[in-house]
Amino acid sequence: MLTDLQTLDDGASLKAPICIFGAGAAGITLALELEKQNIPCLLLEGGGLTFQEESQNIYKGEVIGDQNTDIAYSRLREFGGTTGHWTGQCLPLDPIDFEKREALPYSGWPITRADLDPFYERAQPYLQLGPFAYAPSDWNLEGPKLPLNPEKVAFGIFQYSPPTRFGETYRAPIETSKTIQCYYHANLTDLVIDEAGQITGAEVQTFGGKTMSVSADRFVIAAGGIENARLLLNFTKQRPAGIGNQHDLVGRYFMDHMNCKLGTFLPADPAINLSRYLAQIVDGTPLRVNLRLPAEVIEKQGLRNNALLLEPVWQSESHNDEFRDHSWLAFSSIAKSLAHGNPPDQFPSKLCTILDQPSSVAVGISRHLMREVVPHGELQSVFFKQDAEQAPNPDSRVTLEDATDRFGMKRAVLDWRITEDDLLSLRKTHELIGVAIGEAGLGRVKLGLGLPPNDDDIYTGYHHIGTTRMHDDPKQGVVDADCRVHSTKNLYIAGSSVFTTEGTANPTLTITALAIRLADHLGREAGDGQRHVGRNDAGQNQAGGDR
Amino acid sequence: MSKVTRRAFIGLAGVATVAVVGYGGAMLACRGVPRHNPDFFAGLDDEPLRQAAQEVGRRVLAEYPELVEDRALKSFLAARPRLAEAATVSCPDTRRRLVQDQCGADFAAGEARVLDGWVMSETELRLCGMAAKYA
Ligand SMILES: Cc1cc2nc3c(=O)[nH]c(=O)nc-3n(C[C@H](O)[C@H](O)[C@H](O)COP(=O)(O)OP(=O)(O)OC[C@H]3O[C@@H](n4cnc5c(N)ncnc54)[C@H](O)[C@@H]3O)c2cc1C
Repeated sequence: MLTDLQTLDDGASLKAPICIFGAGAAGITLALELEKQNIPCLLLEGGGLTFQEESQNIYKGEVIGDQNTDIAYSRLREFGGTTGHWTGQCLPLDPIDFEKREALPYSGWPITRADLDPFYERAQPYLQLGPFAYAPSDWNLEGPKLPLNPEKVAFGIFQYSPPTRFGETYRAPIETSKTIQCYYHANLTDLVIDEAGQITGAEVQTFGGKTMSVSADRFVIAAGGIENARLLLNFTKQRPAGIGNQHDLVGRYFMDHMNCKLGTFLPADPAINLSRYLAQIVDGTPLRVNLRLPAEVIEKQGLRNNALLLEPVWQSESHNDEFRDHSWLAFSSIAKSLAHGNPPDQFPSKLCTILDQPSSVAVGISRHLMREVVPHGELQSVFFKQDAEQAPNPDSRVTLEDATDRFGMKRAVLDWRITEDDLLSLRKTHELIGVAIGEAGLGRVKLGLGLPPNDDDIYTGYHHIGTTRMHDDPKQGVVDADCRVHSTKNLYIAGSSVFTTEGTANPTLTITALAIRLADHLGREAGDGQRHVGRNDAGQNQAGGDR
Repeated sequence: MSKVTRRAFIGLAGVATVAVVGYGGAMLACRGVPRHNPDFFAGLDDEPLRQAAQEVGRRVLAEYPELVEDRALKSFLAARPRLAEAATVSCPDTRRRLVQDQCGADFAAGEARVLDGWVMSETELRLCGMAAKYA
């Protein structure tokens, strides 16, 4: 069921065994997994079914740290969440990412990659990916291997989602679901917590001024990596520092990936065949091989993780993509929507973005046309493109400002910090790859970062990670290994905010895997007695709107 | 070793590696030179390449002077028979292969340094350094 909450009466109450706030990748996956266990749930989405400025406006806030980021428009506050404009690059975290590493401050998840493997496998279909196979040896790849010393350089696979737009792909299954009661325009504005740490209820509000109450046995906040923290910090009525924040951890350890095209490989032979490392479709799965340091080298050298893609620069400009800026991305997203016969979302804001920098769109269009007729010519050089890992850092954080949104909730302040150690690690990674390339006689590498390194060319990966981090110790983490907020009995968090470290993997595959794992956990907790198996009528009553 | 002249070693700077072409060459704005031509790598008599190597070498002298000290150079060259051989062979392809093998061996042994952002083998740094020092 999919209903506009505005159609219910003011003061109505909603009830279900489980209530999920936020219908993005995490929330929708969780609801669909609960459905498989026949567990009724409420899925309450703040935004509408498509982009609405009044909803998006709630994401506005201040950016006070690194300025190469954004919090207002990169996230999408609508049904389907930010998957409305994600790019679809997918990779699981590596086993080493879960480990406690001496050189990576605050590292060490309470779970291992092996714990997550079965859930990664189940996450793949949600993102319309191929099989859970991320080693090059799993695939019949085209093109010759670079003869790099395997002790010095390893390879991995990125898979590409179409990209799955959760709001489109899962709308019909939610609309027809007998167990998922999804309401949109249902903005979580408060949680009520008792002395014992039990969440006893929630308040949701519509843009039309209606307020409803929600009761459930268990609550899950799945509102995105920044918003999860912002909401907890705003819930100060019974917990002055915010729910889950008794150790001043909520909002801290914010990480993004250091998205950059830094480092250049100058091949000795411009006729070098790099086809294995460029985009290819194998057995119907779009994928791409990445280069990385082997885990042992990362460990020994005390480095952060990084998986880099090779981006050729061709003699003929028309085959190069350096013109791709925000303006081009806005244009191509409009063009893709129209090609699919859909009206483009956020059309006015995208149009403004294009008008800000129309030249890159003109360059992009002319290059795409030229590509059809002009050969790419000789290979000039090859860029390293990556989403490099940063270490968790308590000073990199989401806090609140005094300015409030239309519901009176304080807006977010993002203080994203990139440390010199993060940058030096990336530089060293390029240096080690440069040594391996030199050893193989393939050419030479020019590092993209100097000494001291600066972060001018580092951009957000739009990955908001770590603000409600997972740790067994309540003094070091906001949620436990089951994603339950330590200081509560029945409040859970879904999304990348629970990641303890970020590795170099784009987060959505792991978000989806963790959501499935959480659904299994909640199913077990609910137990047979509360499971409502075969009681769809009762389920509907349980998870329905009480007008 | 004694038969090989310093000048012969200096000449090797030109065949050292693609780094000289990419890095030194870029500094001398000679990137238009076709890189995939084997003759190009012969290098010994190639004036733009020699200049490029010298330009790289001047940076080596400034940043890593210890690499080009006479005594260090002597033991370095003595420990690299491939270079001695390269300095005496006339076939440009063989000469190029020997020098590049030596650079590869340096990288394999971790004998690499960063010069102005370029990750280079000590062999090429020293050969370029010599080209600049004894120009
Ligand atoms: C340009 C771009 C490119 C990206 N590319 C990739 C990529 O290639 N690979 C990758 O892995 N990731 C990528 N991402 C990140 C990816 O989009 C996110 O990781 C993913 O969408 C997060 O899922 P989520 O469910 O945690 O949050 P979201 O998808 O943001 O969903 C959160 C939901 O909560 C709702 N909500 C918020 N507040 C409230 C409230 N108070 N009450 C009720 N509901 C609320 C929102 O409306 C939204 O629907 C990209 C992001 C951007 C912006």
